[in-house]
Amino acid sequence: MANQIEFYVHHDSPEKVGRRERLGVRILIVADGSFLFAMIFSWFYLRNLNTNNAWLPKGVHSYTAASGWWAVAAFIVAAIVHRSGLAKASNRKMTSVIALLALTIGMVYQWNQMAHMPFIAQDAAGRNFYNGAYASNWVLLAGANMFHYIITIFIALGLVIRGYRASVDPVLEEWRQRTAGSWFTWCAVAGILAAFTTSFK
Amino acid sequence: MTTLTHNPAASDPATSRPVPQPKKSLITRLHMGTGMVVGIVFCWGTYFVLRHHFSSPYRINHDEGLTDSHNVNITLLASMFMWCLGFLIGIGALIGPFRWLIGKDLTAEEQLYLAGDGQDWKRYFRYCTDHKVVGIQYLVGVMTLLGAGGTMAMMIRTNLVTPGSHFVAPHVYNSLVGLHGITMIIALIIVSTGPFGNFIMPIMIGAADMAFPRLNALSWWVLFTAIPVLCSAWFLGGIPTGWTAYAPLSTQAGPGMNAFLATIIIFALSTAVAGANITTTVVAMRAKGMTWNRVPIFVVGATISVALAVPAFPTFMAAMIQTGLDRTFATGFYDANVGGSGWLYANLFWIMGHPEVYVILIPGVAALMEIAPVFVRKPLFSYGAAIAGFAGIAGLSILVWAHHMYMSGWMPSLNGPFMVTTEFISIPTGLLFLVLIGTMWRGRPWMKLPMLSVYAFIWDFLIGGITGIYLSDVPADNYLHGSMYVTAHFHYTLMGAALTGAIGGLAFWFPKMTGRMLNERGGYISFWLVQIGFNVLFLGMFLSGAEGQPRRVADYAQIFAHANLISTAGAYSVGLGALILLWSIIHSARSGKIAPMNPWGSKTLEWTVPYPVPLVNFDEPPVVTSDPYGYGRSVK
Repeated sequence: MANQIEFYVHHDSPEKVGRRERLGVRILIVADGSFLFAMIFSWFYLRNLNTNNAWLPKGVHSYTAASGWWAVAAFIVAAIVHRSGLAKASNRKMTSVIALLALTIGMVYQWNQMAHMPFIAQDAAGRNFYNGAYASNWVLLAGANMFHYIITIFIALGLVIRGYRASVDPVLEEWRQRTAGSWFTWCAVAGILAAFTTSFK
Repeated sequence: MTTLTHNPAASDPATSRPVPQPKKSLITRLHMGTGMVVGIVFCWGTYFVLRHHFSSPYRINHDEGLTDSHNVNITLLASMFMWCLGFLIGIGALIGPFRWLIGKDLTAEEQLYLAGDGQDWKRYFRYCTDHKVVGIQYLVGVMTLLGAGGTMAMMIRTNLVTPGSHFVAPHVYNSLVGLHGITMIIALIIVSTGPFGNFIMPIMIGAADMAFPRLNALSWWVLFTAIPVLCSAWFLGGIPTGWTAYAPLSTQAGPGMNAFLATIIIFALSTAVAGANITTTVVAMRAKGMTWNRVPIFVVGATISVALAVPAFPTFMAAMIQTGLDRTFATGFYDANVGGSGWLYANLFWIMGHPEVYVILIPGVAALMEIAPVFVRKPLFSYGAAIAGFAGIAGLSILVWAHHMYMSGWMPSLNGPFMVTTEFISIPTGLLFLVLIGTMWRGRPWMKLPMLSVYAFIWDFLIGGITGIYLSDVPADNYLHGSMYVTAHFHYTLMGAALTGAIGGLAFWFPKMTGRMLNERGGYISFWLVQIGFNVLFLGMFLSGAEGQPRRVADYAQIFAHANLISTAGAYSVGLGALILLWSIIHSARSGKIAPMNPWGSKTLEWTVPYPVPLVNFDEPPVVTSDPYGYGRSVK
């Protein structure tokens, strides 16, 4: 029984398991990238099509280009801070906390943007709708950012908590930090692409 | 080749050991039943809370006496997703991530318990991480979906038996067509990679397990949650859009459409997880000595298929989320009044939609390429050509999507280039025929049930492929699009090739998955009923389509009567054959002849392990020293 457990759970070295986990996350990033591609495609397709001149109808307010960049700044900060923690293990607990804080602030900012969208109008029956294709696409990209914030904060919180617990395999944990780094970097790249896209009104 | 006889009932190493009992672990108390309870509580709780919220005096437009359809859609979609979340919580799928979060990883005993070690049939109803269990779960799930989709097909054909039969009402017919389509598409996407990709493939490459066992279980149970959601479409008024769910029809459709959207989104999540898992397993967990040119061709095909699905399906998911936002929060992705466009949907849908055909097709063909060398006792003809064929198809499949939109008015100037890329795809497809025919050339085939599927595939897919070349041609498509001709073409491709390949794979690997031989007589009767019926059904449909009968229409003119009568007769034959196959599978799994360890004399690794396959598959990690197709002479 003991041998069975030992073999089942540890049939590969932590290094192999770690590399494998990183590969799996990178493949999931490809799927997420494809989803982002679909959203960026939608933005530029509808913007260039401008059906009925309703991409951004006259008189409808929009966000500034800068606001998109502010919404992803936290991703960039978190990715850089996490990378610096990977480079110097002694700083890791501190960098994990900073990354978590940055991401939390970013999420609150993104939430605030979504709570005060300026382009919602009402139809004759008094129902709210998003006025213009710009508004529809903006809310989808902001939603994707929000989704990334929720996932990334979950990971960052886990890294902080695990950083203070000694009951984890140090080699595997090192690889998991690197795997998390792949996700942090991807979220920063995705955020930059989204901010770049929303800069084109 | 050594063959050993094993009695599956006598010595199951997985059930003869004591069950691990992790102390005070919630894991041991959770199963499918708790998942259903929590899922239903979440679903109905969400439904009643939102119903109450939207029914408040502030939310109803009393002047018009109407409930806002957006609010209904929000309520239904939220309830469906909460069912999914609740089920996953209730079955214990989120315990692992939560324990990771708080820094208390699962103990070794808990992991072993999750793997189903020492447990009996109940492990099939738990969040079990053993890839063999997941493979059987997928097999049962696929058969259920095929049964449901097939029943709907029988109803469609019964309605079309004579003009004006009115077996079902026209709006029910619309829903039948749409739900038959999406049910079968989902079933065929997983028909090979689900059961064989999970049960057989890790053993084929000499791995002890999948790369991510918990994600493996997650992919199945997430998919499982989509099945009741899809079924709920019937109780919510059905879907009027066909499986393509074109906008803006889908954004204006009734509540049943929400079930369709939720199903696709849940299914896309399951596919992404499964795709990452299978790809990582093949890339990182092959046995020592299994270089890329020694990887069995089924493994290559399944990997290319899921690698294609990983980037393709999220675009469909994005289209569904946009449709959902249009239906719930009044965005305007597909509403021209506020700057949207239905062409956006068509593009996103077909960017996924055409690769999806090959996601379905490639594993089925790869299974047949695995079968042919074994039953002809010859090496696979040109392993490199087979891989080039798969890779070429996968690569070109992302460049052909607009051939589905020739007549939509979208970018007519691109019709020519898309026609060329589509016709190019016949070149790598031709390589697949070359490999199979080359393998059989001057061989002495052992005419067992799996081998019959190879012959059936060549006939069916030849017809499906050649008619596809006609349809890729813009002038021909101008006449044929939207007709029964198109329906017959893609059934020859998906059913004639992919499903035939999967049935061949099932007949081939059935002894390894169940420890028993598939009933041959039942299999042969089923094979001929299905194949003869299939060709009668769809050749009749080619005829009516070429004469101009439109697809997705509940009634038709008298001139199409004979062709439709012939098609319906063929459909009943297929239905009867499918029932006999189902009986054969159930009967054989329960009381069939005990299978030897390697009944076909195959050289791939899965045949070197006994039945039941041990938890870690191999006593010692295998070392591969040659390619898997080193056959030199015929077998008598």
